[in-house]
Amino acid sequence: MIRVGADTRLSLMVAIPFFIFIGLFLIYPTVAIMTSALTPGDTFSLNGLQRALSGTYRQGFINSIALASTSALLGGILGMTLAVVLRSLERPRWLHSTLDSWSAVASQLGGVPLAFAFIAAIGTQGILTKLFSQLGVNINDFGISPTGFWGLVVVYLYFQIPLMFLVSLPAINGLRATWREAAAIMGASASRYWFRVGIPLLTPAALGGMLLLFVNSFAAYATAYVLNPGGALVPLQIRFLLQGNVISGEEDLGYAIVTWVIGLLLLSLFFLTFLQRRTLRWAQS
Amino acid sequence: MKGAFRWTFLLVLAAFFVIPMLAMARFAFQSVPVVLLTPETLLTGWSIQPILTIFSTPQALSAARVSVLLALFTISLNLVLLIPLAIVTEVKAPRMRPLLTALTLLPWVVPPIALVVGVAATFRTGAPWFLASVYSLVPFYALWAMPFTYRALDAGLQATGAKTLYEAARSMGASLPVIIFRVLLPNMTASIIAAAALTSAMVLGEFAFASLLLKETLPTFMVNFQRSDARAGLALALFVLVVTAISIGLVVRVLRKRGLNVQTTGI
Amino acid sequence: MVAVDMERVGKAFGPSVALTDFTVHIASGELVCLLGPSGCGKTTALRILAGFETADSGTVHVAGESMSGVAVENRNFGMVFQDYSLFPNMTTRQNIDFGLRAHRVAPKERTDTIDRMLHITALEDQAEKYPHQMSGGQKQRVALARAIATRPRVLLLDEPLSALDAKVRESLREEIRHLQREIGVTTVFVTHDQQEALAIADRVGVMSKGRLEQIAAPKELYEQPTNAFVATFIGSINRVPGYAAAPSEWQVLDRQVRGTRGSVPGESAELGVRPEDLVLSIDDGPGQQGAEGTIGDISFLGAITRVTVQLSQGPRMIVDVMSAGTTHLSRHQRVRVCLSPEADHLVVMSDPQPVASGQVT
Repeated sequence: MIRVGADTRLSLMVAIPFFIFIGLFLIYPTVAIMTSALTPGDTFSLNGLQRALSGTYRQGFINSIALASTSALLGGILGMTLAVVLRSLERPRWLHSTLDSWSAVASQLGGVPLAFAFIAAIGTQGILTKLFSQLGVNINDFGISPTGFWGLVVVYLYFQIPLMFLVSLPAINGLRATWREAAAIMGASASRYWFRVGIPLLTPAALGGMLLLFVNSFAAYATAYVLNPGGALVPLQIRFLLQGNVISGEEDLGYAIVTWVIGLLLLSLFFLTFLQRRTLRWAQS
Repeated sequence: MKGAFRWTFLLVLAAFFVIPMLAMARFAFQSVPVVLLTPETLLTGWSIQPILTIFSTPQALSAARVSVLLALFTISLNLVLLIPLAIVTEVKAPRMRPLLTALTLLPWVVPPIALVVGVAATFRTGAPWFLASVYSLVPFYALWAMPFTYRALDAGLQATGAKTLYEAARSMGASLPVIIFRVLLPNMTASIIAAAALTSAMVLGEFAFASLLLKETLPTFMVNFQRSDARAGLALALFVLVVTAISIGLVVRVLRKRGLNVQTTGI
Repeated sequence: MVAVDMERVGKAFGPSVALTDFTVHIASGELVCLLGPSGCGKTTALRILAGFETADSGTVHVAGESMSGVAVENRNFGMVFQDYSLFPNMTTRQNIDFGLRAHRVAPKERTDTIDRMLHITALEDQAEKYPHQMSGGQKQRVALARAIATRPRVLLLDEPLSALDAKVRESLREEIRHLQREIGVTTVFVTHDQQEALAIADRVGVMSKGRLEQIAAPKELYEQPTNAFVATFIGSINRVPGYAAAPSEWQVLDRQVRGTRGSVPGESAELGVRPEDLVLSIDDGPGQQGAEGTIGDISFLGAITRVTVQLSQGPRMIVDVMSAGTTHLSRHQRVRVCLSPEADHLVVMSDPQPVASGQVT
């Protein structure tokens, strides 16, 4: 007979509903899909996975990865810089709380209102488009339109930057003032401090944040849907295959693409956890 | 030198974020089409008519009601699932923390469409009534909000030294319910509110799950609505943005005044 | 080898005044401790000297040069922080190397200096370790090595031992003292622990509420405190009632002594007497010298035994007696308390008050 202490029993009681929930709504559906992807027509085969990476789907992956990485990189740098800048400014008291609530809203609410806003600003009937055309420049030619690559990057930055800001704050706040002071009294200029201490210490957090941004934007659906429903992006392609058509066989292709996506994002998650441990270790010194 | 850079940076970023909002406002509230805009016509045609249109569209109000209810249910579900888990991890099993942090990040790894299809397939055979209700969105939303909810709760517990509080209360002879409700939960208020704020923002803007399950929530309504009445649609979008931002801002400010520092999520 | 002169330095943070009229002259090679309870301004004074804060008034001179307008990076000081402040992403060696690089020291000399620093702080086996792999005591030794590697003109220590265990604290403070004497660097050491301050400093400056109350060698501080705050803060002290017997003499217990303030006949005040300056004798009956009292507790503290005596007409007193001479003492015993022959100059602890006629101790 296994003796289970009261504490362990309690912990299990608490964990069970959670694991049931996750199992039912996350693990099982995911595993089911991945199994379907690997057994199209009830036989094990890697064909589906291969097809999922060819033709337009290959292009879709390239586009999605490019879009997610670019917006993650830019959003990451800008978001963290914002956190650093904010940390050094104490004066306008309202600045901190305004930015805090803005980052909460902007990082999550994005999607639909965002897409609208950008159409209003830089779409063909957009006001900025009109403004620039007065100056003789057609910004749509430069790909700065809601449907061009850079247009999408710009739109994605709208929620990437606040998300990175939100996620960087703890790391920035973890940069002790005494480190800066110690560096200064040893004769180091600001740039030396940042180059040798500040940036190395922030790098794991920065990379982790960017990975988070990548994961977050890779599957971003709403904005893409509103701006460019027929575009070659993975989330849209999946939707087309799994909801648009009801032809069987095509469904398996959809599952295959999903499997690749899950694999890619799981890998990112893995690296994210690794980076987290680094940051934690340094914070304990 | 440094100061100038900082403020320039802030201003440029502010402009980046504000200009599209302004463009949206202009489009919504000024009836002059862009092609006809000239310095002379700049100040004409402004009215709040689009907002009034929305308020008199019953569909808009019911969609809004649905979204708000969804937000409330999602927050409740997540808190009920995660608070006990967070407490137990902090107090009894700190080594589970990295596992749980990674686990609660899993929902973001699976694209919404996959989740919808997977769950739909599971329930179609067993309990078809489940997917018919609009509240079938709640589990999906709870999953999607899990990463930052768990982090906020965990950060709050760590910051207030929950483990020590628990042990002190225990040594004074307090029973478990007392410890939870009178010692731990009050100290988690700030993180609960932070998580609730983020979740609300998320639910009010969430489109993917809602549209894939063919439900009418505020965002799906917005997308459909703006096809028929573009200006009113945009006015609604702007309205929702502003109201959410202000509400969250007020909540954060009230909390700060009470000395409860809202914990932002880390990674 | 430099002298530090801080003249009438004042600093306020908004409405609260952190430092007032702070003046201190530190000789080259001296170790001065700034001692006081939290909020007394000692850390503010240190930070102003370091350059992290600017004084509102007064001047700071090091080696005769004014420090106003001189950036922190250019002062060539060394500093050890309470939280060690080691860079977590660098090994011990790299941490020590940091300041040397900032001073653009040549690579060969850097290596030599680091090796020497590692040797004198006994950290050779920690050279490649990271801060999170080391104990508090080790980290603080690294911080020390790092601070002196660049041959600073002045060494500043901000409560460096507060975060450490008692045993580590004691041994590390001896190391700091030893190192400081060898190198001969002018040092300012901030602490709230009086035992620490008295043990290692050449002079101790006692501070309270932004003011420097007294600065003197430890012995002088203990034996001749200039006011009630210093007398109570350093060591233990009894507040004994006395009255003015003659213009400069106070009648205390069994005889007359001089006080830090002149006495006007007719006044009474409390005077400070150290526990070891009191003598106990068994009460033989009326007519004996000294104040009557009853023994309360007897605590054996090693070489000294601490006896509390409740005076029949007066406060409770703490008397320290050599343990060898206490075998005849027991609780509830009636005794007489007298001043020891050596006590001849006492601190007046309270404002003298005129005595109502008829009251005589």
